[in-house]
Amino acid sequence: MPIEYKKSRAVFHGVVSVEEAEGLLEWLQSKPSTKVDLASCSHLHTANLQVLMTARAKVSSWPANPQLHAWLESALNPKP
Amino acid sequence: MNPLLEQFLSESREFSQGIGEKLMQMEDAPSDQGLINELFRLVHTLKGNSGLFTFPEMTRVLHAGEDLLGLVRNGEIVYSRELADRLLDAMDFVMALCADIEATEQIDASRAQDSKRMAESLRALMPAVESESPAPVAIKPTFVPIELPPIAEVPEATRKEILHQCHQGDTLHWICYAPVKECFFQGDDPFFSARQTPGLVWGNAEPSEPLPPLAELDTYRCVLEFHLLASAPLEELNEYFRYVPDQVRIVQVDPQWLELAEPELAAALHPASNHPQGALDKPASPGQTPGKASAESTQEQAAALDAILSAQQQILTLDDSTDWGIGRLKAVGTVLLNIATAAGVHDIASELKAVLAECLTSGQNSLLLLWLEGSKEQLIASYAAKLESAAPLKPGADPPHKPKEAAAGEAVPAPSLAAEDGVKFGRRVVDIDGIRVGRRAEDILISTRTLKVDQAKIDRLMNLIGELAVEKNALPYLAQRAETQFGVRELAREIKSEHSVINRIADEMQDAIMQVRMMAVSFVFQRFPRLVRDTSRKLGKEVQLVLEGEQTEADKNIIESLADPLIHIVRNSLDHGLEAPEVRRACGKRETGTLIIRAAQEADRVVIEITDDGKGIDPAVIKQKAYEKGLIDETTLEKINDREAVNLIFAAGLSTAEVVSDLSGRGVGMDVVRTAVEKLNGTVVVESELGKGTTIRISLPLSMAVTQVMIIESDGQLFGVPMDNVVETVRVPRSNLRTIKQSLTAVLRGRIVPLKALNALLGISAGPRANSEDELAVLLVQSGSEVLGILVDGFKETIGLIQKPFAGFLSNLSAYSGSALMGDGSVLMILNIREIV
Repeated sequence: MPIEYKKSRAVFHGVVSVEEAEGLLEWLQSKPSTKVDLASCSHLHTANLQVLMTARAKVSSWPANPQLHAWLESALNPKP
Repeated sequence: MNPLLEQFLSESREFSQGIGEKLMQMEDAPSDQGLINELFRLVHTLKGNSGLFTFPEMTRVLHAGEDLLGLVRNGEIVYSRELADRLLDAMDFVMALCADIEATEQIDASRAQDSKRMAESLRALMPAVESESPAPVAIKPTFVPIELPPIAEVPEATRKEILHQCHQGDTLHWICYAPVKECFFQGDDPFFSARQTPGLVWGNAEPSEPLPPLAELDTYRCVLEFHLLASAPLEELNEYFRYVPDQVRIVQVDPQWLELAEPELAAALHPASNHPQGALDKPASPGQTPGKASAESTQEQAAALDAILSAQQQILTLDDSTDWGIGRLKAVGTVLLNIATAAGVHDIASELKAVLAECLTSGQNSLLLLWLEGSKEQLIASYAAKLESAAPLKPGADPPHKPKEAAAGEAVPAPSLAAEDGVKFGRRVVDIDGIRVGRRAEDILISTRTLKVDQAKIDRLMNLIGELAVEKNALPYLAQRAETQFGVRELAREIKSEHSVINRIADEMQDAIMQVRMMAVSFVFQRFPRLVRDTSRKLGKEVQLVLEGEQTEADKNIIESLADPLIHIVRNSLDHGLEAPEVRRACGKRETGTLIIRAAQEADRVVIEITDDGKGIDPAVIKQKAYEKGLIDETTLEKINDREAVNLIFAAGLSTAEVVSDLSGRGVGMDVVRTAVEKLNGTVVVESELGKGTTIRISLPLSMAVTQVMIIESDGQLFGVPMDNVVETVRVPRSNLRTIKQSLTAVLRGRIVPLKALNALLGISAGPRANSEDELAVLLVQSGSEVLGILVDGFKETIGLIQKPFAGFLSNLSAYSGSALMGDGSVLMILNIREIV
């Protein structure tokens, strides 16, 4: 499973494809206060990115890949 | 060229042709749902096929066409001439691209702009409802007004660093990539594309519209756009985004923008701006990249590099004697060179080049493999060292080799695949979903009921069969010799019976090969709807084209050489024959003129008639013109009848048009037609009634391969005369010959026929020989519209033979049209009657 749904965390693994977006959206809709763990995520599809951005998801740990980290940090923590 | 591409090209041509035809048909039946469905299907398939290759220019235009037709199909827009015009233009463009591909196996980069314009012109026809859709016209306004890219988005630290780079002479580009809303359905991942942008320095994902509440978000509709700063050259960026040029805006960054991005900062920096290095000599390390992460990533990248190198090793151990071995070797070489360059070890790179060159000449992998084993550790070590030192750099600072890593990383389980597909395709392989690939593979398996064979193979087969047909004729001679010379009647009889069997088989073979070479005239006819449409539009005339007997078949050569004469005739009819609508109305005719092209088979000939209901040809005018141009003399002018006069249009140098237009009127057209038709052993005649219309009738043999020839004898030599020329053979008593002035004549069937002796025509001094009853053999031949008699010594049998044209110096002998080999091994010269009389 590219996304592992735990009690209060969604853990992303490897490349998260477009098919995961629907499930992620539902999960975030039902549990708005949860966090996402991106540590072992190497890429996520745009669809997932926009779900995370819309949900203003909180990130518990950032991706190890520095480039992805930079991207996600600026996308998920937009300047006011 | 690889077979798949070849197949694609031939199919694309067929499809484009088909699409053109369907568009024409639509003009007559704009609401025919079946037609529009078929049209849509063709465009759709063609688009799909083009997507198999990297021809985005073609795909883009076809995609626009498909969208447009989709709307027509759903009744959202109505079929119009305008629409057909643009689609036809688009098909012409596709054909042009095909020609490009055929010549160079790729599409010239300059076509990208044309393609974009073409696609836009198609999309412009879509109604305004489209503004919701991905149409580029709809997207553009959203960012066109922005004069300056929003540099302020760039974090302060990054901005300074970039500015620093700029001052060192790097060119930066600001890229705004706004993917279409439906891009996910096309298998695109814009985020991935953005991340892989060559020379990426900085990037940001922004919502392209206010993000909806979470509950209303449509996951499958892309609402993001990407702002990127990249240091790669413009061409490279254009190449990278060549699939989506309409969704990308690229602006070269003026370093001043960076400086002025924050007004107060700009003010503060202003005194120092002449010495930017001094002011910014300590580029701040970006806040987003913690040191720990980069250390990890160094390890990760070293591991990836190790994987790549192992994959190359594995590839090098594969069999190198295959056809594609060299290509594979080159691919490996490129990968290694790139790695060496990326690792900054230039001495290794040059060493590698030398080894690679040696391997390429010897065609063996072993040397490179040895080298790789020796240098692998060093490569990884120096690469890691370089990363270490470069670690504080921004993410994506070393992107030129990034995509390759991604590709090779994904492809480790199947290294040979990734390597052979080439680095470029690595990413695509990852993206394509399995189901679609499977379906494509099946498609290819099904469709092979008909064979496509190179014409050269058929021609060879036909030549062989021809030789067999000639060779089998030697058997009766052999039988005769067996009987007369050796006196074995038994053997002679057996040879004869064998001959009859071989004869039957050879005949059938000949028949079969003719069938293979037969082609329907529709091959030529299919281009007329377009020709007539375009030409009549240009001339401002209304023309209805009727095609009949398209299924009539004839030999491929005949059909193909028919194309040009027919085009001349049709153009002539459109230009001179049919009148403008107002003239027609004044004459009491229907405003729309009719042009009928009809093909039919008559015995062993194909007859093609081109009939128009235009103003017809005025024989008086033709006569006058011909006289003025010196084509006929005064006597002819007096005695020529209307029918003959009209046929003068085929004479060289005659044009009745008052003005020379780009269509016709240069006085060459009909002459060219006659020459072309006569070359095919055909005839062409014209019938015309003033004010009612004109019919041009072309008659051609079904096949050129076998000619029926009558053998005649003169002065002890044998000659062949094509049966097409022979009217009849008669014997005339010498007493019936009359001499009028200097020429011999005879009255045959109530008509005076001029006679000429073959010997005299060929420059043989002997006179014609009469038979025991003092009768002369007269061969009546048709030459043009005249019948005349040729005096010969005797008639022999009629045979079918394969005529070979003279080659080389002999081809200057116009008295003969060719030669043929007889069964007994002798050569028969075929007379060219038209030339000698």
